[in-house]
Amino acid sequence: MSRAHRGTIFLEEAEVIENDRRPAGQHVLRMRSPAVAARAEPGSFVHLRCGASLAMRRPMSVMRADRAEGWFDLLFKEVGAGTGLLARCGRGDRLSVLGPIGRGFSPSPERPRRLLLGGGVGIPPIVFLAEHLAASRPVVLMGSEVPFPFDLRPSSIPEAGLPAGAALGCLEAAGVPSRTASRAGLPGCFDGLVTDLARGWLGVRSSRQRVELFACGPEPMLRAVAELGREFGVPSQLALEEHMACGTGGCAGCNVLVRTPAGPAMKRVCVDGPVFDGASVFGAATP
Amino acid sequence: MSNAAAARQSQEVRPSLAVDLCGLTLASPVVLLSGCVGFGEEYTRVAGFDNRDAGAICLKGTTLEPRLGNPPHRVHETPCGMLNSIGLQNPGSREVIEGILPALDFAETRFFANIAGATLGEYAELARRFDDSPVDAIEINISCPNVEEGGLIFGNDPVMSARVVEVCRRATAKPLFTKLSPNQTDVAENARRCIEAGTDGLAVVNTFVGMAIDVETGRPVIGAVRAGLSGPAIKPLALHLVYQVHKVAAPHGVPIIGQGGVASTEDAIEFLLAGASAVGIGTALFYDPLVCRKVNEGLAEWLVRRGAGGVAETAQSVRAAAAGGGGGRTG
Ligand SMILES: Cc1cc2nc3c(=O)[nH]c(=O)nc-3n(C[C@H](O)[C@H](O)[C@H](O)COP(=O)(O)OP(=O)(O)OC[C@H]3O[C@@H](n4cnc5c(N)ncnc54)[C@H](O)[C@@H]3O)c2cc1C
Ligand SMILES: Cc1cc2nc3c(=O)[nH]c(=O)nc-3n(C[C@H](O)[C@H](O)[C@H](O)COP(=O)(O)O)c2cc1C
Ligand code: FES
Repeated sequence: MSRAHRGTIFLEEAEVIENDRRPAGQHVLRMRSPAVAARAEPGSFVHLRCGASLAMRRPMSVMRADRAEGWFDLLFKEVGAGTGLLARCGRGDRLSVLGPIGRGFSPSPERPRRLLLGGGVGIPPIVFLAEHLAASRPVVLMGSEVPFPFDLRPSSIPEAGLPAGAALGCLEAAGVPSRTASRAGLPGCFDGLVTDLARGWLGVRSSRQRVELFACGPEPMLRAVAELGREFGVPSQLALEEHMACGTGGCAGCNVLVRTPAGPAMKRVCVDGPVFDGASVFGAATP
Repeated sequence: MSNAAAARQSQEVRPSLAVDLCGLTLASPVVLLSGCVGFGEEYTRVAGFDNRDAGAICLKGTTLEPRLGNPPHRVHETPCGMLNSIGLQNPGSREVIEGILPALDFAETRFFANIAGATLGEYAELARRFDDSPVDAIEINISCPNVEEGGLIFGNDPVMSARVVEVCRRATAKPLFTKLSPNQTDVAENARRCIEAGTDGLAVVNTFVGMAIDVETGRPVIGAVRAGLSGPAIKPLALHLVYQVHKVAAPHGVPIIGQGGVASTEDAIEFLLAGASAVGIGTALFYDPLVCRKVNEGLAEWLVRRGAGGVAETAQSVRAAAAGGGGGRTG
């Protein structure tokens, strides 16, 4: 049999290069981890041992990876015990990293008009994908209910169907148009949901057969993206989250219900995902 | 010396970790446990992980027909351990036997089937099907806390446990292990009944039933509410059960795969000294995927330190010395 999967996930003692504190308990953690940095793709994640006191690792998406310098960045929000320990890491600390894990986004060449949506802790893989696809000029929408962990600046790249407003500085610099949405009254941000912005953008597209949606974020947002895809006849690739034990496909702890041509199946978010076809995970409710 | 030559030499000086388990020779007493290593190939994704480091690998609990398992969340961290409620998700015995077993490399390690039925008839049929398959042994799972039918209904009742063993015994000539439930009053009595009914070996012990509640939502964290507790949190409980069951099993020469929270060489040695012939590791793999190799290295050092006999005789001699040396005091 093909044993191509063997040896594709690496276990490394990664050294913290920098823990950069951002607003509202958010952190960008840069780690030296050459094996992961060399192989991470947009959508792949690492399974991190946040501390010896915890019996389970924590999954975190890779936000950026520099193969030449051998580091990768995570962006995380402090929400509990594991992320609390991570938040206290400093330069020189070592953490056991298992990765890269998972099947990431795979943009279809037939659909070069790409709309990327990131919400909350789902922002990191979307940043990775946006920077990776920069040459093909995707359009990026980010939503957050707390101050964004990035510098925002007024958008200078107009985009039909989107109002002017605050954009992510790092993406503007790469020539990628972006907009931000928040219901928390953040200055310059669209007052609403990323999916409201997406609806406006999709509404003015005449050749929707060239469009594909990509998203990561809280479940209600992903459901809404799948719904938009259905409404506009556009496919979506969604990065899911589920509690995980092994991160290698061995425990079936992270499975979610997915429709397949052969009927309903339970798929592992860790190695079958985390990216799934939107229609297969959030299909229309069967009557 | 070249690296290869150095590796060869260090292999040569390393004492054999082989143990005998119901007539099967295992290259190491470390067994990777059912439900934690999928169907034998999943962990090989991890670079450095090698099935050959394990004495045996117990495949995921298999039912007659495919099962989708329980809704999310299925796993949850607890202090020094975790809860799981997978609900025996598996592709069913036909797919396991026809699709999965042929792709395994039986030269790498021993593979044990782990079977779970909803009725006596299903257990018998599963044992019969796996009897006619290349697996090295069959482990009867009568202790899964995460299914409504079968599982604990059999495992927590010594009479029912024995009946399951009986029907499986009639259906297979392969080595038969019975995996006991800790969620009952007298595990040793259950073990005694299973031995009488013809089990060749015992696996002690499966997960302890537990739950967790999300204090914000007020709802149970685990989709199916009830779950099995595993990991270091249960080690002292599991160790004591192995110790008790050993007293019943040893006179019959019935070996025990001791398990529950093993995460280090010291844990493994403790189980061997409590009377286990082999030691299972499950949950610890999740945070330490290469733990099996580390425990092997640690056990090899232990054997050297204790005079380089085999695993079984070293454990036996340490036990005997402790018993002769005024053991049994309590503090
Ligand atoms: C593939 C994937 C990628 C992720 N990427 C990111 C990221 O880039 N940035 C980020 O901030 N967060 C990300 N998350 C969520 C992150 O894993 C959780 O926030 C984290 O596990 C919480 O751990 P804790 O101990 O701080 O919280 P606690 O609430 O104390 O965690 C308790 C238990 O629940 C699990 N858990 C809680 N929330 C989640 C969740 N949303 N997903 C999975 N398990 C959870 C924990 O792992 C732990 O086992 C990702 C999750 C997945 C599955
Ligand atoms: C996620 C998970 C799935 C499990 N699935 C099974 C199973 O299918 N059959 C079985 O007999 N035991 C199953 N178990 C129990 C383990 O095989 C083992 O007996 C138990 O977890 C105690 O060992 P540990 O503390 O080293 O994990 C499972 C345990 C876990 C954590
Ligand atoms: S976390 Fe174990 S199978 Fe995905």
